[in-house]
Amino acid sequence: MSANSMSDPRRQNKIFRYKPPTTDSNPTLEDPTPDYMNLLGMIFSMCGLMLKLKWCAWIAVYCSFISFANSRSSEDTKQMMSSFMLSISAVVMSYLQNPQPMSPPW
Amino acid sequence: MRSCLLLLPALLLLLALPDTRGRYNDEFDDGEDLAEFDDNDFAEFEDVSEDPTVETESEPPPRPAPSSSPVEDDEDEATVETEDGQDEFEDADAQYDQEEFEGYESKSNPSFKDTLIYREVPAHLQNSWESYYMEILMVTGLLAYIMNYIIGKNKNSRLAQAWFNSHRELLESNFALVGDDGTSKEATSTGKLNQENEHIYNLWCSGRVCCEGMLIQLKFLKRQDLLNVLARMMRPTCDQVQIKVTLNDEDMDTFVFAVGSRKAMGRLQKEMQDLSEFCGDKPKSGAKYGLPDSLMVHYIVNHADKIESIHFSDQFSGPKVMQEEGQPLKLPETKKTLLFTFNVPGMGNTSPKDMDSLLPLMNMVIYSIDKVKKLRLNREVSAQTYRYSNEAAQRREQKKMDKKQMKMKQIKVKAM
Repeated sequence: MSANSMSDPRRQNKIFRYKPPTTDSNPTLEDPTPDYMNLLGMIFSMCGLMLKLKWCAWIAVYCSFISFANSRSSEDTKQMMSSFMLSISAVVMSYLQNPQPMSPPW
Repeated sequence: MRSCLLLLPALLLLLALPDTRGRYNDEFDDGEDLAEFDDNDFAEFEDVSEDPTVETESEPPPRPAPSSSPVEDDEDEATVETEDGQDEFEDADAQYDQEEFEGYESKSNPSFKDTLIYREVPAHLQNSWESYYMEILMVTGLLAYIMNYIIGKNKNSRLAQAWFNSHRELLESNFALVGDDGTSKEATSTGKLNQENEHIYNLWCSGRVCCEGMLIQLKFLKRQDLLNVLARMMRPTCDQVQIKVTLNDEDMDTFVFAVGSRKAMGRLQKEMQDLSEFCGDKPKSGAKYGLPDSLMVHYIVNHADKIESIHFSDQFSGPKVMQEEGQPLKLPETKKTLLFTFNVPGMGNTSPKDMDSLLPLMNMVIYSIDKVKKLRLNREVSAQTYRYSNEAAQRREQKKMDKKQMKMKQIKVKAM
């Protein structure tokens, strides 16, 4: 028994619980991509709705998808869903107001 | 006799009169007689260039622009035929004096090409799906993104599970607690990885001699993001495994040490607080240090392609933090830490089987934990390192004092 406890490095009395690293101490380690994409998506959605630009609305949808793909599990899903809904509503409203197909910029 | 002489002119006059009457009466008589008469009277008006057949009518005066056209002989009427189909009004320009009508031609002869503009039928009136090709492209792009998200997420999950399966036995034999998310009331092993992202997985191990705990982070590539996949085609990178072992105060002597690839060392020396403060010299090649031929050196040399960096420090506080103006100078909290960063072989094209090749490196980590506990520097070196750390602490204190004084001065100036 003693030989086993000597060779066995495990110690039940030396267990420390996991503490998630705080972002205040290491702000550089956080990936800013989901936040930037979220903001960009909202801006493009508003531009698409206000200025009736279809291509703005489509880019907003893409930004929402990219933000979702890069998001952390701990993040609130409500903000992600609101960004999605806003971009999809921008696309739908643009086509309801003007059913013409989108013309390429070139 | 005198009477005969007087009668002669009278007779001549009488002879002349009937001829003149004949001329007027026989206006259109035979031209030969008239021509004979004309030759005499109108000889001065005759044009030399005229044809002999041209009728030189005595009655109608010759025209100011005599035409060169032949005249028919017979005739009650005089007709003029033009040669070569030339018409009197042939030249349209001769209709008007051009100087009087400047610019008239340009107005009167517009270019008909400019007025005709061909317009395409508007797309919404075409009634075809082909006109919505941009929308179809957008939807196709979105579907491609979603497909890539699902495939990338699944691949990362399989790689993480493969790594855990190959390392589970080693970890469970060395640590009492394998897998903890920090939320449960009791400290029990979850036996699974914590998913932080679609590409980052954590594992906390604790309950061992010589260390407080070990945090393993599997930092995979962002395979779920199509943009990142396309960016990696330009600049290939590889998956990484980061291991951070936190030690108790009595488990490590006072030293700061780092070894790794040249690029990683250059980056770490700039970024890390303790390396920039205590390891000010430029990173040198290991051969220049004259290291003995030991097991550890062999291991590092043999697995050099998989080792990104190894960093042992008793003053570890993370990367340098930019101190904001006006904020009180915070002394960073230091902790005795061992940091290992390993590259997963495959350069992005990793398969689950490649995870087995990282097992020897995990063995090296466990070996390092035990070795650091036993490592004690000799007195000379220990005194030097102790002095360095004291100097660094003093410098930090000095900076704090300087900032406080500056702040006091500013307050005084404002008060004045």
